Amino acid sequence: MANETDPVVTARKAVDALLAAGADKARASVSRKRLSELNVDSGKMSLYRSTADVSLALLALDGSRKGAVAVNRLDDASIEAAAAEAVAMARSAAPDPANDIAPARPLERFASGAREPDSGRMYERLREFVDWARHERPLANLEQCILDFTFAESAFANSNGAEFAEDSGVYSFQAMFSSRKDGKVSSFNGGGASHRGLDLPLADWGGTGELMRQSAEQLETSSVEGSFEGDLVVTPDCLGDFLGMLDGIFLGDYCQITGASPWKDALGKRVASELLTVRSAPLGPDIEVGANYTADGFRAENCALIERGVLRNFTLSHYGSLKTGKARCPSGGGSFAVDPGAAPLEDLIKDVKRGILLARFSGGMPSENGDFSGVAKNSYLIENGRVVRPVSETMIAGNAARVFESIRAVSRERKDFGAMVGPWILAGGVSISGK
Amino acid sequence: MKYGDIGRHKALFGEYTELRVQENRSIGINLLNGDIMRNVSVAEAGVSARAFKDGVWGLASAPESSDGAIADTVARATANARFLAGKEGRPAGVLPSRPGSGSRDLSTRKPRLSQKGYIDFARALDGYVVRRFPGLMSRMVGVNLLDMEKTLLTADGADAHSLVPRSIIFVSMTVEEKGEPVELYEAFGGLGHFEDVFSDPADLHADIELLGERLGQKAKGAYARPGTFDVVLDSDLAGILSHEAIGHTVEADLVLGGSVAADYMDREVASPLVTMVDFANTALGKTCPVPLWVDDEGVEARDAVLIDKGVLRSYMHNKESAAHFGVEPTGNARAYRFSDEPLVRMRNTAILPGASKLADLIASVDDGYYFMRASNGQADSTSEFMFGVVLGYEIKGGKLGQAVRDCTISGVAFDMLKTVAMVSDDMSWTGAGMCGKKQPIPVGMGGPAVRCRINVGGRA
Repeated sequence: MANETDPVVTARKAVDALLAAGADKARASVSRKRLSELNVDSGKMSLYRSTADVSLALLALDGSRKGAVAVNRLDDASIEAAAAEAVAMARSAAPDPANDIAPARPLERFASGAREPDSGRMYERLREFVDWARHERPLANLEQCILDFTFAESAFANSNGAEFAEDSGVYSFQAMFSSRKDGKVSSFNGGGASHRGLDLPLADWGGTGELMRQSAEQLETSSVEGSFEGDLVVTPDCLGDFLGMLDGIFLGDYCQITGASPWKDALGKRVASELLTVRSAPLGPDIEVGANYTADGFRAENCALIERGVLRNFTLSHYGSLKTGKARCPSGGGSFAVDPGAAPLEDLIKDVKRGILLARFSGGMPSENGDFSGVAKNSYLIENGRVVRPVSETMIAGNAARVFESIRAVSRERKDFGAMVGPWILAGGVSISGK
Repeated sequence: MKYGDIGRHKALFGEYTELRVQENRSIGINLLNGDIMRNVSVAEAGVSARAFKDGVWGLASAPESSDGAIADTVARATANARFLAGKEGRPAGVLPSRPGSGSRDLSTRKPRLSQKGYIDFARALDGYVVRRFPGLMSRMVGVNLLDMEKTLLTADGADAHSLVPRSIIFVSMTVEEKGEPVELYEAFGGLGHFEDVFSDPADLHADIELLGERLGQKAKGAYARPGTFDVVLDSDLAGILSHEAIGHTVEADLVLGGSVAADYMDREVASPLVTMVDFANTALGKTCPVPLWVDDEGVEARDAVLIDKGVLRSYMHNKESAAHFGVEPTGNARAYRFSDEPLVRMRNTAILPGASKLADLIASVDDGYYFMRASNGQADSTSEFMFGVVLGYEIKGGKLGQAVRDCTISGVAFDMLKTVAMVSDDMSWTGAGMCGKKQPIPVGMGGPAVRCRINVGGRA
């Protein structure tokens, strides 16, 4: 059933406007979003924010020349003006045979989560968290906490006849905190997750409460001594940084198109330890907050990126796929779920002679060859199988590909962040240096 | 387009209220190996209102600025503030006031180029790169344009309009060295519309030559050694040092949230050679890269002298933090999108020039590094900072040696600043930076070169 406020109707209208303006092929994405957000600043409730927004993103192809326009207006005149601008932009561009749109697919509709926030429950959950922190984590400074609910009605249409619509309601929580005692301050850290409901106390979202406990431990830190090659036990909180490197340096559009990816010819080959399996699973069940269709208009499918160490998929978009001649990523990318291993976390620690339990990585942009370096934050020194003490002014440097190759164990425990889920990972061969 | 007669909406205000009508317009073009990978124009416009009651705020926004939408937005913001005040209200005095006014429109007076004009400019640069450096593994030329136009009305009398454009071109080149890619990039431009900032692609040829020359040196370069070294940080690094390492720790909201700087006011935190200022709009007689005359709480913006000859003298404030600390607001409250609330943000943060020559700074280092370009940086409540370095050279016996590959440098800012032994007498700014803190925001960063001691995250 369609009506004038249905984003699908608007998306179709925009595709028609692009074709009427002269586009040979056209694509439109429409969304209407409402956000309700509660903020805590410096430990006090500070702001109740409710916003409404719309977006219209248009792609026009003139032959194989492309132009894209995005505006936050959905009225007919704005759609026509944006369509005309997109076509004009396409005509300013140069041909590129890799520009194309997704094939036809009958309209599919999806719905997840609530349509309206439970504002009373949001307030209660946040109030409960602030009170819990005051009693259970008395040294913690809640620098900022944000609990929000976003309801988005989205739709996609293109001139080949591919159509999708999705209604999605998601709660997200983020907390930034440090600890303070006797004039000493710990490094700030952050926790949080995204979920469809408010069933869990916020301290349990992404293990935020445990990170706050560790924050108090981190009031007393010192640098490691000297420089040495050692191990890393990467926590799930920090694993996302390494998955980001995986996406950006090894698998994504840019590095594949430029040919800079060290894994550009490695599809079907072993690139990592056989203990590592990384999936992109937007349809769940591991991922609670995923997506049902891709940004370029394909039905999303779960897929393995690395399966028992073997490279199974790049994270190429439709454009990246046509540009490189390699297969498009069936999932559309993101929504990372790393399979659990067999070992308990404590066994990973026991296996480390000297290394770092890496809970947060503050690093420079990794190089195109996978080299990375940065500061180990909120992290601990491990010696002879025991977590010894929290560290500061301790830097790590290595190569992401070699980290993935050198994985010796993956924990059976995982952390669930709603949009990502992952275990602790033990890898070696990283340069660790102190003052 | 300027929103006219915003003052007529003042009658809608039921509490202390700020009303902002805003439009961000941006253009992005990326040429990857000559192909137009990105060719996009974005316009986001709307209205927000923020109301204050009993120590808490309510904000609402809508993606249109009709009279009806504005009335509804103000009513929802007021209701949000009253809802939260009903549950969390606390004694709060009157917010401090120094209302600003006037219109600052920094638009070009020249005819605007079309999208094709921008693409042609980028293509001309790309063609030059190909001709001069035919052996590249890949190349990228990008054009990023952003106009932020705001019209603001506040209950305490601010009535201000601004249109601040920013135009950036970036060029990135990658070579293959022993089977591995090595990249270097540079950003050009800053404040102003494209037509005022760039006139002829040939004007950038010398910069591109230098970029290519340095990339060649970097490709043949070595990994930095890990450890603590005497280093010279060029102005690009000194700017990010000002912003990341010090600036964030002295944003008053972060001070209240736990920053170590809470205990440092009026204490010596740096070498006496260090004076650091967050400039509102004008520095040393010139307009800054990100000028701000009236902030998004309607406060007339003033410079904040953060460190004066090594002593911490001020934080950066919004109205609420200024009231908390019993000082004047500095005008640092800034919002990115129309729907965003103003946060304490930096504007143009810089260490002031000293008396030494850059050559003497380099000559004074026996075994260390000259770091020239940063990729990114992060701060911490402890003032422990990290910068990614993408261009640097060894210094041996006071002379520049071979280039070094990408590395990271770090330190505890309030310790490291005490090691500043020399400050050069020149200064440069970059206006290409974007700071992230709940929202993104354009920032200016600048400084001279400084000699100091810093941790280097190299390869053992």
